[in-house]
Amino acid sequence: MKILKRVLGVVLALFVAALFLFPLLWVVLASFKTKLELLAVPPVFIFQPTLQNYINAFNSDFPMQVRNSLIIAISSTVISIILGSLTAYGFSRYTIKNSDFLQFWILSLRMLPAIAVVVPFYLVFRKLKLLDTHIALILAYCLTNTSFAVWVLKGFFDEIPLELEEAAMLDGYSPPQVFLRVALPLARSGLATTAIFCLIQSLNEFLLAVSLTTRVAETAPVGLSKVQTLMGVDWGLLSAASVIFMLPIVIFTIIVRNDLVRGMSFGRMK
Amino acid sequence: MARLELEQLDCWYGKTHAVDHINLVVEDGELCVLLGPSGCGKTSTLRMIAGFVRPAAGEVYLDGQSISHLYPGDRNIAMVFQSYALYPHKTVREHFVFPLIPAKISEQEIARRVNEMADFLDMHDLLDRYPGELSAGQQQRVAIGRALIRHPQLFLLDEPLNNLDERLRVEMRANLRKMQQDLQITTVYVTHDQVEAQALGDKIVVMDMGHIRQVGSPQEIYRHPNDLFVAGFIGTPPMNFIKCRLEREESQAVLRNTHFSLRMQAALAARTESLVEGKELILGVRPEHIRVASQPEEGAIPAEVYVLEPQSNELIMALKLGNLIIKARDDKREIGFRPNVGQQVWIKFLQDYVHLFDKSTEQCLT
Repeated sequence: MKILKRVLGVVLALFVAALFLFPLLWVVLASFKTKLELLAVPPVFIFQPTLQNYINAFNSDFPMQVRNSLIIAISSTVISIILGSLTAYGFSRYTIKNSDFLQFWILSLRMLPAIAVVVPFYLVFRKLKLLDTHIALILAYCLTNTSFAVWVLKGFFDEIPLELEEAAMLDGYSPPQVFLRVALPLARSGLATTAIFCLIQSLNEFLLAVSLTTRVAETAPVGLSKVQTLMGVDWGLLSAASVIFMLPIVIFTIIVRNDLVRGMSFGRMK
Repeated sequence: MARLELEQLDCWYGKTHAVDHINLVVEDGELCVLLGPSGCGKTSTLRMIAGFVRPAAGEVYLDGQSISHLYPGDRNIAMVFQSYALYPHKTVREHFVFPLIPAKISEQEIARRVNEMADFLDMHDLLDRYPGELSAGQQQRVAIGRALIRHPQLFLLDEPLNNLDERLRVEMRANLRKMQQDLQITTVYVTHDQVEAQALGDKIVVMDMGHIRQVGSPQEIYRHPNDLFVAGFIGTPPMNFIKCRLEREESQAVLRNTHFSLRMQAALAARTESLVEGKELILGVRPEHIRVASQPEEGAIPAEVYVLEPQSNELIMALKLGNLIIKARDDKREIGFRPNVGQQVWIKFLQDYVHLFDKSTEQCLT
């Protein structure tokens, strides 16, 4: 009975995993196929792989767009983590007037639909002469990422026993040192989790990116969308570009995977 | 070397008056225990000494210098927390080094002190372990080492033995006492456990509802409690309180209630001379000061054995006098018979040790 239950559990898990991984597998395979193989019905799974799609991708604007995406996403993530951890720590450790209201207000920024701010943002950035620059998108993404970071990190800081910080204070560490040397290292898994989500959010964002950039600061999702033209879609090129674009997140996730698991199973850290 | 002085220290949490203008002196090298039930203000007092809580009024003096306005780290005070407050991401060695970094001590001196502390706590083999890999007793030793490595002037302990099992607690209690005496460091120790307070303290401060009820040596607190609260808090099982009226029969003072009348011996009677007849009193008798006999004796009060709680060498008996239940504690060998539940016995109070309290003011009259 027990064994049966276990086997059923594993089968179910494999099924769910397959459901989510199949599109990925399809994209990876497609990126190595020729146009003909791509459109074959039924789809072929065994074929002679070609790198032509990747060569095409590298010879287009795509590398520059990936660079833009990475610059914007990493900058906005770093800024959001710095601002977010400081703010969250303040909410967690100090008595602040109307604390609950302020926290909700910050969180509500995250719920803001992007479509509602596209036009105002466009007007503001045009006035500031920041259209089609990295700075515009970095600032725009910081808005949602910082509010998200405050909200998530507050929970992690709340989990740290106050006594750990008091002990460091008695030892002669100043409040900023206590924050840097005690609180931050203990909130590591929270920082990793927040960073991943901010990165994914910033790399995937489309609406603001398409409205606030034209060419110089164009990001990868916007560039990829332009591969679909009236002349049809180059699926091979699109797949190769998608695979390249996935790599940064995959690599970062692997680097912080231990902290990530701990951060996701929130509240169990000891 | 330090003498701690609290002057009119006052603390509020919202509308709760946690500590109400207390005064206290802890002499150099003394171990002072703050004892009281939870919520009595003992931890708030400790946190004001450490500087985590700003007093609403009053001063804290260390060696005559006011430290009330100083940042915790500038007070030269160390503390062991109830939860030990160990960093899960630091090894034992890193815990020992951590407090020395802000003090700007040379690396050789740091190495020497870590070595010295490892000797002192016998922790050489454990220096590279993380707290998660240590037993509760070892974790506590790390917490103590981390606190003492800076050579602080004042050592604070907040219920440090709470998280240990009974056996380890008794062992660590003795270790702590020895350590404190070896180092001659002025110490304030917070606990709600009166047995611990009796075992450790040079001086016990009994607190309740933000007030200091009594300050004295363990013996004084036990032998001469100021009021009903202190009398009831110290000792296990607690002191028996029996409501009585003071009466005088043929010029002899008698304590009377519905269950018995007790003729007072000269020494005790002398204490009641100034009191008016008919005064409502509370008789306080510790279980260990009740003698139980199987046969009637002159002046003994009849009672019925209600519950028996045998200990290793003692017998704790709940005795029924009508609807009143009192507890007696006697040495198994000295009692001279084997009591059974329901058996009729005769009890005598050792009048040299009983206390009389004024029922209205709760103050001790003897």
